[in-house]
Amino acid sequence: MSLYPELSFNVDHGYLEGLVRGLKAGILTRSDYHNLAQCDTLEDMKLHLQSTDYGSLLTAGNEDLTVSLIDHRLKENILTEFRCLRSHSLPPLSTFLDYITYSYMIDNVVMLITGALKQRDVAELLPRCHPLGMFDQMAAVGIARTPAELYSAILVDTPLALFFQDAVSEANLDEMGAEIIRNKLYKAYLEAFYKFCQESGGATKNIMCPILEFEADRRAFIITVNSFGTDLSGVGRSALYPSCGRLYPEGLRLLARAEDYEQVKAVADYYPDYKLIFDEPEAGSSRTLEDRFFEREVKLNTLAFLEQFHLGVFYSYLKLKEQEARNIIWIAECVTQRQKSKIDNYIPIF
Amino acid sequence: MDSFFRSEEMCLVQLFFQTESAHNCINELGHLGLVQFKDLNPGTVAFQRRFVKEVKKCEEMERILRFLENEVVKSNIPIPADFTSETIPVPRDVLDLESRFDKLEQELKEINSNRDTLRQNFTQLMEINHLLKVFDAFLFYPHDRFVAGVIKHERFPAFEKILWRLFHGNFVLRHAEIKPHEEENMDPVKKDVFVVFVQGDQIRGKIRKLCDGFHASMYPCPNNAYARKEMRTNVNTRIEDLRLVLKRTEEFRETTLTAAAANLQEWASKVKKMKAIYYTLNLCNIDITQKLIVAEIWCPVSDLNSVHTALIHGSEQSGSSLSPVVNRIQTQQTPPTFNRVTSFTSGFQSIIDAYGVGNYQEINPAPYTMVTFPFLFAVMFGDCGHGLVMTLLALCYPSLQLIDMLVDGRYIIFLMGLFSIYTGLIYNDCFSKSFNVFGSSWSVRPMFHPHGPWTNDTLHDSGHLHLDPLVSGVYSGNPYPFGVDPIWNIASNKLSFLNSYKMKMSVIMGVAHMLFGVTLSLVNYIFFRNLKDVALQFIPEVIFMLSLFGYLIFLILYKWCVVMKSESAPSILLLFINMMLFDYSSEGTVLYRTQKPVQIFLVVVAVLMVPWLLFAKPLLLYRKHKQLKLVNSLPFNGFFQVNSEIIYITRHCNNLPNCRTSESILSDTEVSMADIFVYQGIHTIEYCLGCISNTASYLRLWALSLAHAELSEVLWKMVLQVALRVTSGMGSVLLAVTFAAFAVLTVTILLVMEGLSAFLHALRLHWVEFQNKFYKGSGYKFTPLSFDRMRDMQ
Repeated sequence: MSLYPELSFNVDHGYLEGLVRGLKAGILTRSDYHNLAQCDTLEDMKLHLQSTDYGSLLTAGNEDLTVSLIDHRLKENILTEFRCLRSHSLPPLSTFLDYITYSYMIDNVVMLITGALKQRDVAELLPRCHPLGMFDQMAAVGIARTPAELYSAILVDTPLALFFQDAVSEANLDEMGAEIIRNKLYKAYLEAFYKFCQESGGATKNIMCPILEFEADRRAFIITVNSFGTDLSGVGRSALYPSCGRLYPEGLRLLARAEDYEQVKAVADYYPDYKLIFDEPEAGSSRTLEDRFFEREVKLNTLAFLEQFHLGVFYSYLKLKEQEARNIIWIAECVTQRQKSKIDNYIPIF
Repeated sequence: MDSFFRSEEMCLVQLFFQTESAHNCINELGHLGLVQFKDLNPGTVAFQRRFVKEVKKCEEMERILRFLENEVVKSNIPIPADFTSETIPVPRDVLDLESRFDKLEQELKEINSNRDTLRQNFTQLMEINHLLKVFDAFLFYPHDRFVAGVIKHERFPAFEKILWRLFHGNFVLRHAEIKPHEEENMDPVKKDVFVVFVQGDQIRGKIRKLCDGFHASMYPCPNNAYARKEMRTNVNTRIEDLRLVLKRTEEFRETTLTAAAANLQEWASKVKKMKAIYYTLNLCNIDITQKLIVAEIWCPVSDLNSVHTALIHGSEQSGSSLSPVVNRIQTQQTPPTFNRVTSFTSGFQSIIDAYGVGNYQEINPAPYTMVTFPFLFAVMFGDCGHGLVMTLLALCYPSLQLIDMLVDGRYIIFLMGLFSIYTGLIYNDCFSKSFNVFGSSWSVRPMFHPHGPWTNDTLHDSGHLHLDPLVSGVYSGNPYPFGVDPIWNIASNKLSFLNSYKMKMSVIMGVAHMLFGVTLSLVNYIFFRNLKDVALQFIPEVIFMLSLFGYLIFLILYKWCVVMKSESAPSILLLFINMMLFDYSSEGTVLYRTQKPVQIFLVVVAVLMVPWLLFAKPLLLYRKHKQLKLVNSLPFNGFFQVNSEIIYITRHCNNLPNCRTSESILSDTEVSMADIFVYQGIHTIEYCLGCISNTASYLRLWALSLAHAELSEVLWKMVLQVALRVTSGMGSVLLAVTFAAFAVLTVTILLVMEGLSAFLHALRLHWVEFQNKFYKGSGYKFTPLSFDRMRDMQ
């Protein structure tokens, strides 16, 4: 690591950073959302999106316009942009971008395992995997019977092998086990990514660490909330909490002991940022806890664009774009299901 | 002719036409290309407009056209470029074309999907064929538990690895690459044939699952050799059949596409026109009875007749009984700025528009820029050799078609080249060498003994010799007739002579250019009947500039004209500085006798102009504002003889339907009183300081021309001269090499780089120093509906 990474940053990543900042300018604004929310049919939405950076994304092809088609096109769009960035990138940016894809790979693996447990056909499952997390050996995941087999036979060649050390066990795979594998993998993944960002230093560290800390804490909260009513014990839970968040170590210990939602809320009260999230929303707003977490995430990600010469913009851009896709899908769903009252529940970005 | 100097006079016109004839009328107007439609429903969102369905239909058709074009291009069928039949799209064409396109698309999709299935079958058969061919080689001994299939080449290593990991080597795997066969242009994917021999059915099931995951296609393979042979012949006959069918399908597809390609261009232009027409109709209002369409258009007053004829023509074509009504309406809205351009003037106009589109009817700097821009460029670029190359380049552009952008600017480049030749001749500079056409006015011979002080010894002893014009015969008394005397090219004080000359010259040109700009502001004031601005703005500005910088020019010219001894001649720089400081004590700053009173008078006048400029206009406005208040407090307004202008305003208001009342005008002025003071203050400071800094800014003319001359001299001395000095036979070879280097460097550095920099500086001098004296540039451009322009955009 050189003394002033800003000096040489543009040599390797200047073009891509410029590109991603240009792409960021195409993210839909509040007025775009406002216009979209006024639409009565998907055709109207299509007309509106035409005047944005999406251009003729939805007009190509003459299939009937459905929400799933929009979803598919949006995902494809993100994928194209990401592939373009990835194929032009140099280390350390390429490693950084690979790290981003690992989280999707984890999700895909777990989805394939649960799919295989339910005796689904692989050919039916594959198209439902997130395209950013595709890898060669993916198709064979369903064959494995135990996590150990999964690791030693299939995932050992993939980048995910690094995260697998804690998750190896001889127990048979079941649905609960798959969930636990997901969380263990995620824990290892987040910690590794956090370490990578910390080692990068400079602005990358300043930007990415808060985002990843938040991500880790969000997982800890959600694991805790979701574990109520299952047979996952406090000890079992604490093995799943990522240890790179702001909750570590005291907050995590408290969370492990929590028995109901009120106690989780009490833990969050110690942290001003999370207190805001857990506070009762004002009357009339129908935001769920998840929505408020997303809102906070969007806020953190928009901050990334305030600094230059760091890799965080790539992560943030991808996440914001995903949020945008979620927003558009939400609006589209509301439009097709005639739920105009809920249409404003999207999370505006800029 | 008036429209050459300022933008075209525009008028707002209301059009009424029947719904049936709207299509033809707008079509005619689109061909005319002189009419800008105003959006009459600005509050309505795009998808709530009247003709949005039709626009969507057009978009759908465009999509199909794109699809067709893609298919045509993919199959390498040429699209005939030109179409002659210029047909008018009528509404019923939409339905016609739509059904036609739909049918074509259906048909083509069907063919494509057929072809794809056929091809897939064909590849499958080919793969089986290959598998059978290599199977025997893989088989060591009869074995009945195996999985055979074909997998993508790049996936094979991962597949093999996973097999190893899962079954720990309890299997035999054989594979072979499929050789790309003859007519396989359609399927360039590399594939491998593989056969896995294993023990036990359970493992076989797992492998099958794995194959599914890896998208490997598995094929059944008979066990005994005879059955395999039979299967092979069977497969081979089927391949032959398929090949024939595939060929037929291809042929059919090609004929369909060729038929479509012939019409593609015409359809595309038709659809585009239709879309534009519906888009325009969306801007219009439709009467409640649905019978009438109301449009508001901006169009040049001088073209009203042609617009009218076009409309009548359009309604005749549609067979409508009523002719469209054209109704010119009064308006207070600012019309768009429309400057007619030709291919020659368009480049210069776009230079001006890049800074800002002029206000409506404001004086247009473009006609003057056509001369001053290339001239100022040439002052910096002055070298007739380089200018000649540039001119020739500009002349060759149409045939070369180098870059589209340069083609648009070829007239600019051409003029820049011509002017560079001219200034180059004045500088007497051609690739840093001089021409001696008329014979120099200086002569060395008279310096020698009988007349002058020099002897042969002087020549040997001293390094530098001084020609003294006072010795009779050394200077002929008549200056060199045109441009700089060539003798300066060999003089050692060439640089200091040229620097002084060029510096003074750029100040003179700069002040003249700026004075011209200020004069243009006078033309603007007079045109807009803004007579008080003449007194309050133009006069103090001109006096300020003339009394300081006009005097500076006078000093320069005076010093040039009056012969003085170089030792005793006063420095103009010091003289000017002392004039500002009222310092007349130092010696040697006197040019003429009455200098002191004149200079003191001029400085005092210039200083007095500042408060005049600063306070007079705001105070006058303030007085008027108070009077207006007085009028407004009276019970009824309009007929008190306070100020003729106010009467005019109120009367005017009563006549117009949606005009602002005097109250609203008053509240506007109330808000902006402080603004006016601040604005005038800023303007004054900007102008007075600007006079000084802008004059200094024109010194870039000198600096860049110096840099250009020096660079070309360096290039001559360091590159070409090296080879010219070699006297042996190798000199010619060396000359060829160095000339190549000289030519490349001349073009890249002196022509392109220096040209660009001189261009940018000339641009700046026009945008900043010249235009800020008179040009507001806050109008908006006239954007007519024009089919021709649409076609150019493609």
